Amino acid sequence: MVTSTSARKALQTTLEVPTLRRKYYAQTLDDSKKGKKVAWCSNNIPSEILDAMDVTAVFLENYATVIAAKKLASAYCVAGEKVGFSPDVCGYARMLMGYILARNEVPEAPYGGLAKPDFLLVNSYSCDSRLGWFSAMSRTLNIPLHVHDAPHQPDGACDLAHYAAYTEGELRSLVAFLEEQTGTKFNPERLRQRLALSRQTSNIMYEINELRKAVPCPMGSADMFTAVWPSMYMAGTKECEDFYHRLRTEVEERIAKKIGVVPEEKFRLMWSGIPFWYNMGLLNYVEDFGGVVVVEGFYRSRERRLPVQDDDPIRDMALSSTRQRGWTASIASSIDDLLDAVKEYHIDGVVLSFNPSCRLSYVSQGELQRAVEDRGVATLGLECDMADERTYSEGQVKTRLDAFVERLLAKK
Amino acid sequence: MLVAGVDVGARNISVVVFRDDKVISSVLLTSGGEGTAASRVALAAALEKTGLEPTDLQAVVATGCGGESVTLAQRQSAEVVCQAKGAYFLFPSVRTVLNLGAESSRAIRVGDTGRVEAFAKNDKCAAGSGLFLETMAKVLEVPLEEMGELSLQAEGFEEVSGICAVFAESEVISHIHRGVPKDRILAGLHKAVVGRIQEVLAKVGVRKDVVVTGGVGRNRAIVKELADKIGQSIIVPPEPQLVGALGAALIARDLAAKSRQ
Amino acid sequence: MMDEFRQSRLNRHQAAIRWKEDNKSQVIGTLCCCVPEEIIHAAGMLPVRMLGAHEETTEADLHFPTNLCPYCKSTFDQALKGKYDYLDGLVVPNVCNMIKAMYGFSKLLLNIPFVYFLEVPQRLSPNGVSFFTEELVRFKESLEKFSGREITGEALRHSIKVYNDNRLLLKRVYELRRRSPPAVSGTEAQEIVISSMLMPKELHNWLLEQFLEWVQGRDDPPQAGVRLFLSASVLDDTDFVQLIEECGGNIVADDMPMGSRYFSGAVTQNRNPFQALADRYLNKVACPRKMLPDERMAFADRMMRGAKVQGAIIHNMRACDPHLYEYPLLKAKLESEGRPVLFFRGEETETERPQQKADIEAFIEMLGTQTE
Repeated sequence: MVTSTSARKALQTTLEVPTLRRKYYAQTLDDSKKGKKVAWCSNNIPSEILDAMDVTAVFLENYATVIAAKKLASAYCVAGEKVGFSPDVCGYARMLMGYILARNEVPEAPYGGLAKPDFLLVNSYSCDSRLGWFSAMSRTLNIPLHVHDAPHQPDGACDLAHYAAYTEGELRSLVAFLEEQTGTKFNPERLRQRLALSRQTSNIMYEINELRKAVPCPMGSADMFTAVWPSMYMAGTKECEDFYHRLRTEVEERIAKKIGVVPEEKFRLMWSGIPFWYNMGLLNYVEDFGGVVVVEGFYRSRERRLPVQDDDPIRDMALSSTRQRGWTASIASSIDDLLDAVKEYHIDGVVLSFNPSCRLSYVSQGELQRAVEDRGVATLGLECDMADERTYSEGQVKTRLDAFVERLLAKK
Repeated sequence: MLVAGVDVGARNISVVVFRDDKVISSVLLTSGGEGTAASRVALAAALEKTGLEPTDLQAVVATGCGGESVTLAQRQSAEVVCQAKGAYFLFPSVRTVLNLGAESSRAIRVGDTGRVEAFAKNDKCAAGSGLFLETMAKVLEVPLEEMGELSLQAEGFEEVSGICAVFAESEVISHIHRGVPKDRILAGLHKAVVGRIQEVLAKVGVRKDVVVTGGVGRNRAIVKELADKIGQSIIVPPEPQLVGALGAALIARDLAAKSRQ
Repeated sequence: MMDEFRQSRLNRHQAAIRWKEDNKSQVIGTLCCCVPEEIIHAAGMLPVRMLGAHEETTEADLHFPTNLCPYCKSTFDQALKGKYDYLDGLVVPNVCNMIKAMYGFSKLLLNIPFVYFLEVPQRLSPNGVSFFTEELVRFKESLEKFSGREITGEALRHSIKVYNDNRLLLKRVYELRRRSPPAVSGTEAQEIVISSMLMPKELHNWLLEQFLEWVQGRDDPPQAGVRLFLSASVLDDTDFVQLIEECGGNIVADDMPMGSRYFSGAVTQNRNPFQALADRYLNKVACPRKMLPDERMAFADRMMRGAKVQGAIIHNMRACDPHLYEYPLLKAKLESEGRPVLFFRGEETETERPQQKADIEAFIEMLGTQTE
């Protein structure tokens, strides 16, 4: 049983990510020393705006996955639970609260720890559990918190004027908050440039994901869970765009030469939900049997980004956001997306992670599993916390995976 | 003034008989069967040593999860109140009582006058309780009373998952199959149990002096590991399983004194 | 007198079906007290708060994993079992991850003709109030389209008045709980508030007037006990409060949606009723989803004022993030004021009762000895 915290990568380009990540965190510490403002952010806070205003963005959820990958999560979680956070709430939240409140009791923080924040930015879009977490941090650290809201839009794209107006108003409030905190004026042109780059990056990633449909699979989830990282935390930078150019080139070469993740593909899997960050090696386990985890559901962009919607970059962001929805789809479209992916990626089986502390993803997994089974495709549900390794029982997971693999091989 | 306290726990029944200011008799029995009959037997056994009759008792207070079965009792009293009272009587310096019983672990914060200020218990999980340790003793084929001593002899420990009794049991079994020495497994098991106990303790906080009561208090390895982890020495009364009944007897004494007035 | 209120909850399904037949109109379900019911009322429809039941969620378990809000799961389970077949509509507000998911699941698995998602801003700002105002207009228009009836401004203003009257009457009921001993028990108060969410408001107002008169001369007042403050996420029946009061406690004040949060804060009689509604429902409902803990603590203070509270019981549903995140703060505040706290995190099932009873008895005994 592979018990490694990091997955074995098939692509060279993916191997660049740890260096990029280390550089990124080192840069944030350096920025802080130089007097740049540091914002602790939740995912989906538009980093393009922060970057355009020279604010250093530190995305906490990513740092939580780093702690988890180093198998330090449970120590941090225990510290967070000691101060009253229920084991029910998000593993990332408990860990970071443990990190903040019990620095002396938890092991050495990765990358030298997080840069000290000047303020907090949280958005309600997609996950609202984090509002409580950031609110608690704001009180504890005694620094300002700005909440960035957007309409939920469970039915997807919406063209109503007041939706765009509200979203635009929220973006302008965010900008106003940053202007107040930094004492500098917002420059729309800088944002426009970054938006252009991040659009391009998203579109390249979309193309890469389309290419992954090939048989044999040139790039699987073992690579993508790592390779997705720059797009989430370095969006809008040239370095980020270049990375994905190189990644796409490598994928194209592998397809041309018919190089797959495994030499002889016997079955293809899909991973639905958040992976177990402390044991990414799990994604390679099936490779020993000729299987590949081809594609994942969670971070995948399902379509190209819309082109520029307006000259004013803030209005452009607002319109793009209301007219194109990814993270908040209701269960019916989540099921459709999953079944489409199963078909397009030639999937033989779906592994669904049931992560009890992630209120956003967890609720749908049962119904998604049913929908896939109803289509005659085998599924395996694994229930563990995404970050807290105390909840993971190696023996159990191995047994269930073995049975699943047997089932898949028998079908062929 | 003659009173008695009866503690009907998940595993054992204990009785303490109090005359004026002293304990004159006590009994600890494994609850053989049905509560009412068993508690009558226990009370009779305690009184037999003194030559007195149940009718001589001026008040009886019962506590414990099976307390309601004590038909002789004038009043029921909550376990945390009795544990605190009993511990405070024995050690007036106590400010944290940790009752480690068969089915649950309770932490109680005690004020300067011996009153309960806060309490917490472990939430539904068996790991950390006496019955869990009993089961593990059977799995490892080690007598319950020797578990603690044996684990103290180990050099190092084999990790046992702290989260769940079901996981822990299957892990222990797999360790046995792999030929890991029993003392190392026991050491790991005790660490896991202490981890759970610490979680309960954290809910009320640790203030010295800390007194441990209940059957699990007789396990020296648990007490030692816990003391190391909280950085505080721990007092264990000579008869830790009688503290609840003692507290109930003290409450019975107050009851009898009031009704005299 | 209490029987009317209690029966309205116990027979809620039959009552709703009868109301439909008698009024030839629609029944619209809600899942949270931040849905402006006045608009539904002005459409001539009956808004009803959906409630769960203390039974195994056998149907819902086929579609949902375990560690989720028990209220939503139980409510959805009741719907899957056909208990809510009479519902013509369901309004799902944007409050928390679980309730948001109920929108999609309801559309996928239930046969409710009108399922509406109400975008409630998750940040309080002037921007949010104006957005929510437009959303309420859109909601009104959707209801008009669904029912085929117009909702006039006059009708809406009238509904707002009826609801404000109800809020004032409920406030008077709550004031009676501050007396020593309380003139109205916690169980009675909660029963009354829940029934307000289930029956036509005019009828409830009339019943409340009768009740307030009757209570002046009641010959069966609640017995004096240990005075407690109850802060809870959803408790959709009175069992838990009743248990506490049977153990010798008096719930004299509360902070919970099936209680004070439902009716606190009037809608101002404004030129623009939609704006007035948006303002009240965004700014005056002290729910932790707003992530404004200072506001919530201030609300708790207002509820406890004059009630001589000795201790507090906090009951949060498992997986209820908004409440669970604010729990450490609320606990610290209450304890710093010399009020011990007993915390329950649970599902509200029968199996929890014996443990709850033991802990509540211990807590009450503990508080009782402190006053000796």
